[in-house]
Amino acid sequence: MIHQSAIVTADLLGKDPGWLIIVKTLLVFVFLVIMVLLSIWGERRVVARMQMRLGPNRVGPFGLLQGLADGIKLALKEDIVPKAADRIVFILAPIISATTCFMAFAVIPMTGQVSLLGRKTAFQLTDLSVGVLYILSIASVGVYGIVLAGWSSGSTYPLLGALRSSAQVISYEVAMGLSLVAVFLYAGSMSTSDIVASQDKWWYVVVLFPSFVIYTISMVGETNRAPFDLAEAEGELVGGFHTEYSSLKFALFFLAEYVNILTVSALATTLFLGGYRALPGLGFTERWLGGWFTFVWFLAKLLAFLFFFIWLRGTLPRLRYDQFMKFGWKVLIPISLVWTLIVSTLRALSLRGAPTAVIVGFTGGVVLILLVVGSLFEAAKRKEQEALSSVITKPSHFAVPQLPMSISTHRVPSAPSRSMEATDE
Amino acid sequence: MNFHVPVIQYAEVLPILIVLGAAVLGVLVEAFIPRSLRYVFQVVISLGSILLAFVAVVRLHGTSHVAVEGSVVVDGPTLFLQGTLLLLAIGGVLLIAERGLDTGGSAFTAHAATLPGSEAERTALASGIIQTEVFPLTLFALGGMLLFPAAGDLVTMFVALEVLSLPLYLMSGLARRRRLLSQEAALKYFLLGAFSSAFFLYGSALIYGYAGTVSLSGIREAISSNAGNDLVLLMGVALVTVGLLFKVSAVPFHAWTPDVYQGAPTPVTAFMAACTKVAAFGAILRLFYVGLSGLRWDWRPMLSGVAIVTMVLGVIWALTQTDMKRMLAYSSIAHAGFILTGVVAVNKAGLEGSLFYLAAYGFTTIGAFAIVTLVRDSTGEATHLSQWSGLARRSPLVASTFALFLLAYAGIPLTSGFVAKFAVFAAAYSSGSSALVIVGVLSSAIAAFFYIRVIVLMFFAEPKEDGPTVVVPPIMTTAAITLAASVTLVLGVMPSSVLDLIKSAARFTF
Amino acid sequence: MNTLALSAGLTGAPEAVLFWILAPLIVLAAIGMILVKKAVHSALLLAYIMISLAIFYIAQDAPFLGVVQIVVYTGAVMMLFLFILMLVGVDSADSLVETIRGQRVVALLAGLSLGALLIGALGRSLLGAGIAGGAVGLDQANSGGNVQGLATLLFSRYVWAFEVVSALLITAALGAMVLGHRERPVPRRTQRQLSEDRFREGSELPGAPLPSPGVFSRHNAVDIPALLPDGSPAPTSVSRVIKARGDVLPTAPFELNKESQGEQK
Repeated sequence: MIHQSAIVTADLLGKDPGWLIIVKTLLVFVFLVIMVLLSIWGERRVVARMQMRLGPNRVGPFGLLQGLADGIKLALKEDIVPKAADRIVFILAPIISATTCFMAFAVIPMTGQVSLLGRKTAFQLTDLSVGVLYILSIASVGVYGIVLAGWSSGSTYPLLGALRSSAQVISYEVAMGLSLVAVFLYAGSMSTSDIVASQDKWWYVVVLFPSFVIYTISMVGETNRAPFDLAEAEGELVGGFHTEYSSLKFALFFLAEYVNILTVSALATTLFLGGYRALPGLGFTERWLGGWFTFVWFLAKLLAFLFFFIWLRGTLPRLRYDQFMKFGWKVLIPISLVWTLIVSTLRALSLRGAPTAVIVGFTGGVVLILLVVGSLFEAAKRKEQEALSSVITKPSHFAVPQLPMSISTHRVPSAPSRSMEATDE
Repeated sequence: MNFHVPVIQYAEVLPILIVLGAAVLGVLVEAFIPRSLRYVFQVVISLGSILLAFVAVVRLHGTSHVAVEGSVVVDGPTLFLQGTLLLLAIGGVLLIAERGLDTGGSAFTAHAATLPGSEAERTALASGIIQTEVFPLTLFALGGMLLFPAAGDLVTMFVALEVLSLPLYLMSGLARRRRLLSQEAALKYFLLGAFSSAFFLYGSALIYGYAGTVSLSGIREAISSNAGNDLVLLMGVALVTVGLLFKVSAVPFHAWTPDVYQGAPTPVTAFMAACTKVAAFGAILRLFYVGLSGLRWDWRPMLSGVAIVTMVLGVIWALTQTDMKRMLAYSSIAHAGFILTGVVAVNKAGLEGSLFYLAAYGFTTIGAFAIVTLVRDSTGEATHLSQWSGLARRSPLVASTFALFLLAYAGIPLTSGFVAKFAVFAAAYSSGSSALVIVGVLSSAIAAFFYIRVIVLMFFAEPKEDGPTVVVPPIMTTAAITLAASVTLVLGVMPSSVLDLIKSAARFTF
Repeated sequence: MNTLALSAGLTGAPEAVLFWILAPLIVLAAIGMILVKKAVHSALLLAYIMISLAIFYIAQDAPFLGVVQIVVYTGAVMMLFLFILMLVGVDSADSLVETIRGQRVVALLAGLSLGALLIGALGRSLLGAGIAGGAVGLDQANSGGNVQGLATLLFSRYVWAFEVVSALLITAALGAMVLGHRERPVPRRTQRQLSEDRFREGSELPGAPLPSPGVFSRHNAVDIPALLPDGSPAPTSVSRVIKARGDVLPTAPFELNKESQGEQK
């Protein structure tokens, strides 16, 4: 099942001359860098507002240039390579991180058919028949940046942070991949432009809502963002895998993190929110500005996702690591598997032309089973809790720490042989 | 693009489906049934499914059909070998399920994940748990074995090879006693096995490069029409052969055999030694008789050479062994050589002889290793040859049964081994490889020497003071030994019915 | 086979350029993989080789294979390798003494001769008369799309092999559980239970976590015990590890002076 407009996109891109490809590459790169600078600023401003503060508002209008200023400051800092570091890998790691994150954006369709420098084309670098899998594969190469950074630092916290983070990314990639299967089944293709094209009637966020939820959760896990930012849990691991990095190398990781957020958001937009397509009922806007107005829609959806990321960060506390992994493996993946089974059955039924009654019956049956299983689960859980609470007896005495009332009045003995200057501060 | 909906003849692959389905059921039992009940469930599921599968095989008799889009060939040799494998597996599962022998409860470890000698291991041993995962693993291996001789193309053959190997690698490492030795055996088997699989795969790719297809009948046609470059084909055949010869442990791909046979829990050794050889020779027969029969002038000298080396070196190494399990391992290498003499005959007599030999060898092997589990001292099985001296004084029945198996190995008349050896040597002679026959007979004579040496040791030597005890075989082991001994005798005394069955079955379909 | 197709002029220019850039690097990486000292470097070079191979696959019109190669091999398998190497720390310090003398030489010779034989066979067959049309049937195989073509084969002709692989995967999962999963004899105590226990025991500071080193103390280094409100050192406040190492400073100078305490009261 290949959609008409998709063929157009693939053909359009196929006809691009070399210089146009270079121009588009540059445009995508510049777009991403600017977006990163703006989203750093945006994040700080939004989080500040959520915390009843103002946020950066000094550099440039509304503090817009804060990101740039921070970047320059970072670049001018001293670049330190620790003594115990594995030098080559230490330098290689941020480079891997920063290059892979840009590569993934190559297959994101950002506009429909437009004219660029007098040529009919689409604002998408290339169209692969396995576009979405390509993004997944690039993401899995990107993990190398993190792992290698942690290992090559030659220090414990970064190593632990890196292992945590890569275990996290790999685990959530499974759930993410499974959530995409439903989209592939409905779009009949793994190419990003085909998937956007196939959402001309219904966005998949409506049709495949559970997939959307699973994807959204796993995309946060995949990008190591709050509330899943365990890799850099300050209380436990200092800065995680980039603890030993400074200056430009650190800036590269910073850049990669934000570009990754942009990529997963753009992928979510493409797969579930109709990509560059206008809101339902506003289809006529897609022809405005010679088709370039579709970019506005794309950008709006992208920004919505960015806001969502920031909102999460401002709202939710961090999960504990074991809870997080348990959630990924024991909740998200089984749910995705069951959902994939349901979707493929439904899809097979509707493609074979099964009568509506069968489809409705199947759906009803599934809902019924889910309800029964869910209530059984709940009952078992309640029972367990009751059993637990029956064990708990009242503590023997009132359980509040005794306050050290007289401590401040003690005279302190004179300093022992060891120097104490540091503590006096 | 037109999608051709595949036709799956479920009835014809039913034996494989039953066994693999039961294996999956066994995994679910591990997940959902309380530990105390698992053993009973697993034994019932394993034995029940094997019997069911055997019934399915019997009902299929006379079928001659290429099923499931050419992936599975159900014909006489397939069904004969599947039936043999299932009967052997009954013996194997009975030995694996035995819990009356070891004072600890079973030949398998309490908890494979605990380090040998660690505190956790002691806790696990004290708690009395025993890993029951070995049953589904056995069934998975059996499923792969059933598919291996039936594979109609190289891809299916490769998948079957992996399905049968992977569980065996695991099971080799689950011994309850001498765990480090067992784990080392498992690791060696796994690494070498992975290498040999890679050889097989590479060879398949080269053959595909030559023929443009992986199906055996397609390769046969390509060879007969001389489709492409012979050099690629020959390289491919050589590499595929390496993979297959590894599984039957022919020299020079035998290095894993003694270590693994010795290290693995003895019930697993019995199952593996008997069934793997049957399945792998089934695949070899199908590959060379169906796919590569047009190329016989090229591969016959190669396989003849391997057969000679395997027979001679196998018996010579076996002579020097002092450990019972290692001696049986080397003898199994030598027997691979004997069976190969039947394979290189490339005629109907060769096929019949090899099939008969496989059946005879399989049951004898199950029986021999079953007896090895019975001779024990305080540290477990007593496998050193010197410990077996004067065994007949302690337990004449066990010693005589073991003597029967050894005589069958040696090929003494009135045992299955004699008929089998006669069949393969006659086939080899009729196809004109008299050199092979001479070497075969000579090595048989040497082999007979060391088999009879053990018999002499058991019957005519003085028992040691602190020698091992012979446990009175509990019911399951008794059943397995009885099965093996009776088949060995029946095949030796009145082989005609089985020979007739093989005669009618020995025709490949493609 | 790429080279041969190239030399026969069968591939387009961009693909040729790609090949001649990547191929020498891949060979260098492969040689380097064997020669480098650190296991992690070796693994990295292997990952590089895998990715480059994936690029070749994609360039040869097998995009699905290429991408899956990266996701599965580079992304998952090699990553697990790296995990092990980093956590367990295999390095060149491990003993490489041969237990059977001379086997390395023999293995090297045998390996080289096998390699030479293979290269010779392939080379002669492909460079010689054999190349006649090069690779055939690619267009036909990819006619309905690369992914669709693969899917058609997998789910019709090879459906049996495909399904039987599931047995292999189940075995692998089961095996991993058998060898790796250590069941706890008693279920692990949850955070909630631990905290309830603390309350019930009524320890020094009921309900509160253990005092951290340096609390109420003159000095906040980790090796200095905390002082309890009555001025005595808290025994649980210094990490067991540090205690075992014997690095703890004498506590006496840091203890609150009993006399001064008396004076105060």
